Amino acid sequence: MTKILIVAEVKNGEIKKNTLELISFAKSEGFESDTVLLGTGVSVLADTLAGQGAGTVYLGDDKSLEIYNTEQYTALVSDAIHQSGATQIWLTSSEFGRDLTPRIAARQSTGALSDVTRLEFNGDEITAYRPCMATKAVQKCKFSKDSLRVISIRSGIFPADNSAPSSANTVSLSIPSGHSQIEVREVQVEESNEVELNEASIIVSAGRGVGGTEGCEFVRPLATELGAAFGASRAVCDAGWLPHKHQVGQTGTMVNPDFYFAMGISGAIQHLAGMSGSKVIVAVNKDPEAPIFKVADYGIVGDLFKAIPVLREEVGKRKE
Amino acid sequence: MEIIVLVKQVPDVALNIKVKEGEIVEEGLSYVISSWDETALEAALQITEDVGGEVTLLTVGPDKAAESLRKGLAMGAHKAIHVKYDQAGETDSYAFAKILQKALEGRNYDLILTGRQSQDTDSGLTAPMLAEFLGLPQVTNIIRFSDVSEKNITLYRKGDHGTEVVDMVMPGLVTVNDSLNEPRLASMRGIMMAKKKPLEEIDLDSIGITSEMSGIQGSMTQVLQFEKPESRKEGQIFEGDEADTVTQAVDLMVGEAKFLT
Ligand SMILES: Cc1cc2nc3c(=O)[nH]c(=O)nc-3n(C[C@H](O)[C@H](O)[C@H](O)COP(=O)(O)OP(=O)(O)OC[C@H]3O[C@@H](n4cnc5c(N)ncnc54)[C@H](O)[C@@H]3O)c2cc1C
Ligand SMILES: Nc1ncnc2c1ncn2[C@@H]1O[C@H](COP(=O)(O)O)[C@@H](O)[C@H]1O
Repeated sequence: MTKILIVAEVKNGEIKKNTLELISFAKSEGFESDTVLLGTGVSVLADTLAGQGAGTVYLGDDKSLEIYNTEQYTALVSDAIHQSGATQIWLTSSEFGRDLTPRIAARQSTGALSDVTRLEFNGDEITAYRPCMATKAVQKCKFSKDSLRVISIRSGIFPADNSAPSSANTVSLSIPSGHSQIEVREVQVEESNEVELNEASIIVSAGRGVGGTEGCEFVRPLATELGAAFGASRAVCDAGWLPHKHQVGQTGTMVNPDFYFAMGISGAIQHLAGMSGSKVIVAVNKDPEAPIFKVADYGIVGDLFKAIPVLREEVGKRKE
Repeated sequence: MEIIVLVKQVPDVALNIKVKEGEIVEEGLSYVISSWDETALEAALQITEDVGGEVTLLTVGPDKAAESLRKGLAMGAHKAIHVKYDQAGETDSYAFAKILQKALEGRNYDLILTGRQSQDTDSGLTAPMLAEFLGLPQVTNIIRFSDVSEKNITLYRKGDHGTEVVDMVMPGLVTVNDSLNEPRLASMRGIMMAKKKPLEEIDLDSIGITSEMSGIQGSMTQVLQFEKPESRKEGQIFEGDEADTVTQAVDLMVGEAKFLT
C-alpha cells in the first residue's frame, strides 16, 4: 500500500504553497499521505495540513527548530518515516529540500530523485522525469531497488486546491538534544512584502542591461503594477543591485509563471534553465542576436528604458 | 588545513547537447570540470593561500577524467586522487557517494569542498549523501565564508528566506554556489608544474568496492532514457520604434495569451 510522507515547509507562520501542492497531488493520485511539520510555533498549522487532505501530522514544535538545520531535521524526519510506515517521502526542491533530501535518503540507506518535474505511477513503479544538463535534456528515471523512495519535486508543477482547515490527528515527535558541529547563528532576512518568485503567476526580471540600482528601480514599478514578483539575473545580484533572493535561474529560483518578462537579460543557459518553463516569455533586449529571443514568445528588439514606459501605459489602460 | 575538493568531469553544457534515441549524442561533446566544482576548487585555493595547507582533488571516473585532474592541478591544487571507474553512465549519486566514502576512509582532511550540483545531472545529491556516510556535518549552497581557522569556519548559505550564517566545526563538508567566486585560469607556469604533481591512481578493489556496490547494481535509481526538453513554439520578434512595437506586442498578448484578462 502506497503511503506518502510529505515534509512541510513554513514561511512567516503559514504553510508554503509548494507543500499544499504536494498534498493536493498525492490526493489526486489517490494516495494516503501524512506530513511532517517542523519549526517553532507551528502546531497551529497542523489543521491547515489536515484540511488539505493530509492524514497524520508528525509534529516537531520547538524553539530549537526555529531555523532549519540539517542534523535535527534529518533526525526528526527519519523518526516520522518510521512511525508513519511511509513508502515514499516527498519534499520540494527548494534550498531546504535540496539540503535535506539527500541526507534523509542516505540515512535510510536509499537513493533519491531530485528536482522532479513530472511523476507517473503504476502500482509500485514510479517513473520520474527531471531536467538535466541545464535543461538541455530530460532524464526519465526509475527507482531500481525495492526500498523507500525519496523524491524532491519542483514547485509550481501541480495545482494546489485551497481547502478549509480541519481538525488534525497529530503525533508529537521527541526533539533530539543539541547538535554540536553546526551552529546556525542567524538568518539575514531581507524583509519584504513582495510576491515570492516561486509563487508568482507573473514575474518581471531585470538583467545587467538595466545598468545599475537605479535601473532596477526603473523596472520595479512594472512588477508592482502587474502584481508580479520581481526577479533578476545573477549578474544583477552579484553586482549587488538587488539581493540574491531575486535571482532566477539554475542556482537561483527555478520558476514557471504564466508570464515572464525579461528586461535586459541576454539569456545565458543557466538563466534559461530556470525560466524556460514559463508559459509565455516576453523579452526586451537591444541586441537582436541575444539568445533570450530563441525562447521568447514576444521579443521586442529595443531599449528597455523606452519600452517599459510604453508597457506600463498599456497595462494601465487595460486595467481600467 | 587539508582540503579535499571533489571534481567531476562532465560534458560542457554551454555547447550544443543533442538527444537521439534516448541517449545523449557523444559526438561533439567536450569535457570539462563541472563549473560548480571549479568554484569549490577556487575557494579551497584561497583558503590554503590564506591559512596554509594542501588541496587534494578527488574524482571517480574513466581514464579521460585525468585531464580534469591535470587542469585542477594546473589551477593550483597540490595533488590528486583518481579512482578509475568505467561505469559512470549507469551510476547514480548514491553509488558515487559510496565510492567516494570508501576512497576517503582512512585519509586525513579538515574540509571537503564541492559544487552544489554537477553540471551533467543537476542532481545535487552526491555531496550530502557522502557527508552522511562519513558522519560529517554539511553546509550547502554557500555564497561566502569567513573566519577560517584550523577548527572552525563561518559559512553564509543562500537559503530560501535569506542568508543563513552558520558556524561549522571541522571536519565537515561544504557545497558552493557559483556566486561564491570567479575561478582563476590556469597559468602557463601552472600547466607546466601540474605535470610533476602527484596523481594517485586507485582501483575499486583496493578500496573495497565490489561489483554489487558499483554501476547499476550499486545504484538505487536508474536513468531509463534521455528525452528532448519540450521545445517552445516559434516566437514573434518586433523591431522598430518601441512605442509601436510594445503596443503591437501587448495587443497580441492580450488576444492570444489572455494577458491581463
Ligand atoms: C555555474 C553557473 C551558474 C549560473 N547560474 C545562474 C543563474 O541561476 N541565474 C542567472 O541569471 N545567471 C546564472 N549564471 C550566470 C550566467 O551565465 C550569465 O552570466 C548571467 O545570466 C548574465 O546576466 P545578464 O543576462 O543580466 O547579463 P548579460 O549577459 O551581460 O546581458 C545583458 C543584456 O542586456 C542587454 N541590454 C543592455 N542594455 C540594454 C538596454 N538599454 N535595453 C535593452 N537591453 C539592453 C544586452 O544586449 C545584453 O543582452 C550562472 C553561471 C554559472 C557559470
Ligand atoms: N564521479 C564523481 N567524482 C567526484 N566527485 C563527484 C562525482 N560525482 C559527483 N561528485 C561530486 O558531487 C557533486 C554533486 O553531484 P550530483 O549529485 O551528480 O549533482 C559534484 O559537483 C561533484 O563534486
